[in-house]
Amino acid sequence: MQTGIMIKDDSVVTDTSVTEKGVTDESTATDINVNKPADEMPPDPREFDIRASSNTGQHETIGQPFIDNARISARNVNVYYGDKQAIIDVSLDIGGNQIIAMIGPSGCGKSTFIRTINRMNDIIPGCRFEGNITLDGEDIYDTEMDIVLLRARVGIVFQKPNPFPKSIYENVAYGPRIHGLAQNKAELDDIVEKSLRRASLFDEVKDQLDKPGTGLSGGQQQRLCIARAIAVSPEVILMDEPCSALDPIATASIEELMDELKEKYTIVIVTHSMQQAARVSQRTAYFHLGKLIEVGNTREIFTTPKHQLTESYITGRFG
Amino acid sequence: MNKQTDSNTDRSTNPNTAVIVASLKKRYAREKRFQWYGRLAVLTGFIFLFLLLADIVSKGTPAFTQSFIKLSINLDPEKLGVDANATTDELRQADYDAVIKSSLRKKFPEVTGRKEKRQLYRLISAGAGYELGDYIAAHPEDIGRTREFWLRAHSEADSYLKGQVNKNTPEADRRVKNDQLKWLDQLRKEGRTDTRFNTTFFTAGDSREPELAGIKAALFGSFFTLSVTFLLSFPIGVFAAIYLQEFAPRNRLTDLIEININNLAAVPSIVYGLLGLAVFINFFGLPRSAPLVGGIVLALITLPTIIITSRTAIQAVSPSIREAALGIGASKLQTIFHHVLPVAMPGVLTGAIIGMAQALGESAPLLMIGMIAFIVDVPGGVTDPSTVLPIQVYLWADSPEHGFMEKTSAAIMVLLGFLIMMNALAIYLRKRFELK
Repeated sequence: MQTGIMIKDDSVVTDTSVTEKGVTDESTATDINVNKPADEMPPDPREFDIRASSNTGQHETIGQPFIDNARISARNVNVYYGDKQAIIDVSLDIGGNQIIAMIGPSGCGKSTFIRTINRMNDIIPGCRFEGNITLDGEDIYDTEMDIVLLRARVGIVFQKPNPFPKSIYENVAYGPRIHGLAQNKAELDDIVEKSLRRASLFDEVKDQLDKPGTGLSGGQQQRLCIARAIAVSPEVILMDEPCSALDPIATASIEELMDELKEKYTIVIVTHSMQQAARVSQRTAYFHLGKLIEVGNTREIFTTPKHQLTESYITGRFG
Repeated sequence: MNKQTDSNTDRSTNPNTAVIVASLKKRYAREKRFQWYGRLAVLTGFIFLFLLLADIVSKGTPAFTQSFIKLSINLDPEKLGVDANATTDELRQADYDAVIKSSLRKKFPEVTGRKEKRQLYRLISAGAGYELGDYIAAHPEDIGRTREFWLRAHSEADSYLKGQVNKNTPEADRRVKNDQLKWLDQLRKEGRTDTRFNTTFFTAGDSREPELAGIKAALFGSFFTLSVTFLLSFPIGVFAAIYLQEFAPRNRLTDLIEININNLAAVPSIVYGLLGLAVFINFFGLPRSAPLVGGIVLALITLPTIIITSRTAIQAVSPSIREAALGIGASKLQTIFHHVLPVAMPGVLTGAIIGMAQALGESAPLLMIGMIAFIVDVPGGVTDPSTVLPIQVYLWADSPEHGFMEKTSAAIMVLLGFLIMMNALAIYLRKRFELK
C-alpha cells in the first residue's frame, strides 16, 4: 500500500475531508495534488501547459475512488509498456449496475486501465502489470484465473467497430458457440435475436442476417459489436471510446442502449467526449498522465470539480 | 504579346511565382521523360516475352500433328508367321515389319538396291508395326486379307510432309534424301498421305523415335512429385508459420530460426538435390528416380517460400480481429483458426501456389536424385521411376534428332500451360476468399 489510499475506515468520504487532508497532511506534496485557486491560472487558458504541471511523484486520488458495493476493485495498479509507465498507482472501485466514465486527455492511460480489467493487455508484447484487481473478490491476475473465462465474464467493445468478416448471425453466434452456451440451433437463434434486440439492431438487420457484418454502416457495426459482446452474457462490459468513429445519431442510439444495459450489466466507458460522460455515466474518473486524479459522482465532477487539472480539463482549457 | 506582358506583370507581384514558373517546365519535362522510360521498359519486356513465346509456339505447334501414309497391306499369315488359330499374344508378336516392308516394295517395285530399300523402309515409323499388331490383335479376322492401312510416318518423312524440309538444300545436308522426296511426292499425289492430330504426344512415354515420343510419363511424374511436395510442404509450412508468428517467444533462438529460414530460400536448389541424394537415397534407402524423393526434395525447397509468405499474410491480419475474438473469450488457437487464418488464407494460398509453380519448373535438384532417367512407361505411383516435365524438356533438347526439336517446344508449351493454370487458380482462390 502506498499513499493511494488515505482513508481506510470510511469508503465514502465527504468532499471537505479530502480537501483538508490534501492540504494539511500533504503540504509537502507537489503541485499536482494542491487545489490551486482559479486565479492562479494564466490569463489565457491556452497558455496553461498541461505537461509542465505533470509530476511523477506520489499523489493521491481526490474524491471517492472506493464504494461499498464494489464489483471490481483495483488496488495500486501499475502498468508498464517496456520502460514506459502507462499507469501509476491507480486504485479504484467499480460498482454494479452503473456506468462509470473514464475521461482524460489522450495518452493518460484510461484505455490501458480498462484493458487491464479483462487482461487484453496480455497480448501486447512488453506490457507488464503490477498491483491487484479483483472481480467479485477473485483476483483476476491470479495464476489460477482462467483468462478465457475472465474474458467471457468481462466483455469489451473497442474504439473502432471490428466485426468479424463473417455474416451478422455468425458475428453474434460465435461467442455463445465457442463457450457452448446454446444446446441447439434454436437456442442459438434465440440468443442471437435477443442480443441483437438488446443492441437495438435486430429490426434493421433481421432480413439480412446472412450478409457480412462488415457491410453495415459504422453505427450498425458498433451495435453489432455490442450485441456480440452481450451475447455471451458478461457481467461487466468495457467500452473503449465506442462512439469515437460514429456520427451523432449513431452515438445517441448507443448511449440509449447503454442506459438500458446498465440495468443488467456493469459498464465502464472510456470517452473523449465530456458531454457523453455527463450524459451516460453515474460516476466519472479523471485520468491524467497515468494517474487517477479525481473520482466522483458525475454530477459533482462536472459541477464542482475539486482538482485544478480536472477543472481545467472539463472546462476545455486543454485536452 | 500584350497579354503576355500583362500576365508577366501580374506574376511579378509575387517574387516566388516567377521562380516557380521558371522551374515548372523542367519539372514537367522530367516527369514526361520518366514516363517514357517506364513505357520503354515495359515495351522491351513485352517484346522479349513475345519473341520467346512466338519462337516456342511456332516451333512447338507442328508437334501436335503427325503425318500418316496409307498403304495397301497383304496380311499373309505365312509372312506374319502365325497360323489361323493364334492367340492374341502371338498375333501381337507377329512380324508386321515384314508385311509393311513387302507392301512398300510392292508399291514402289522400281526400288531394288539395298541402300535404296533401306531408305524406302525409313518412310514408315518403327512403331507402325506395333500399331498394326494392336489392330490385328483386335481384328484377327483380317488375317489373310489385303487391306488399306494408315501407317505412322517416320519423323523425317513427317517433317517433309509438314513442309519443314527445303528441297533446294544440297542432298548431303538433308536427312530426307532425293529418292525419299520423290516417293513421298508420289504418295501425296495419290492422296495416300494425311496429317492428323498427334494423340500419341499425350498418351505415350518417352521414346528414341521422335514420332513415338510422348509427354504422358513426364506429366504423371510431375503430378506425383508435386502431390508429394504439396502434401508435405503446405501443412508443414503453414503450421510452422502459425507457430513462429503466433506462439513462439521472441528471443535469440527464434530470431536465428527466422534468419535461417530466409537464408534457406536463397540456397541454390541443386544443393537440395545433393542433400536428397545423400540423405534420402543413400542413408534412408528410398528408391532412386522416384517422385517420392523428388517430392520431398522439392518440399524442402518450397518450405521457406511458404513459411515466409504465410507469416507475412498472418502478420497482415488486422489486430482488431484478434482483439475482437480474444475479447469475447476465444482461446488463442480458436482465434487463429476461426478468424486469423481465414482472413490470411488468400495470402497463404498465393504463397503455396507460387511455391508449387516454382517446384513444377525445378529441374536441377531432380537431376541429382536420378529423375533424369529415360522413362517409357507411365509411372503408376510415387515409388516408380519417373521423370518430370522440365527434365523431359531437357532430355529432348539434348537429342540430336530433328523431330525432337518440335517436341521440346511442345513440352515447354505444356509446361507453360500448367504454370498459367496454377497462377489462374491462385488468382481465383484469392478472389474467392477475399469476397467473404
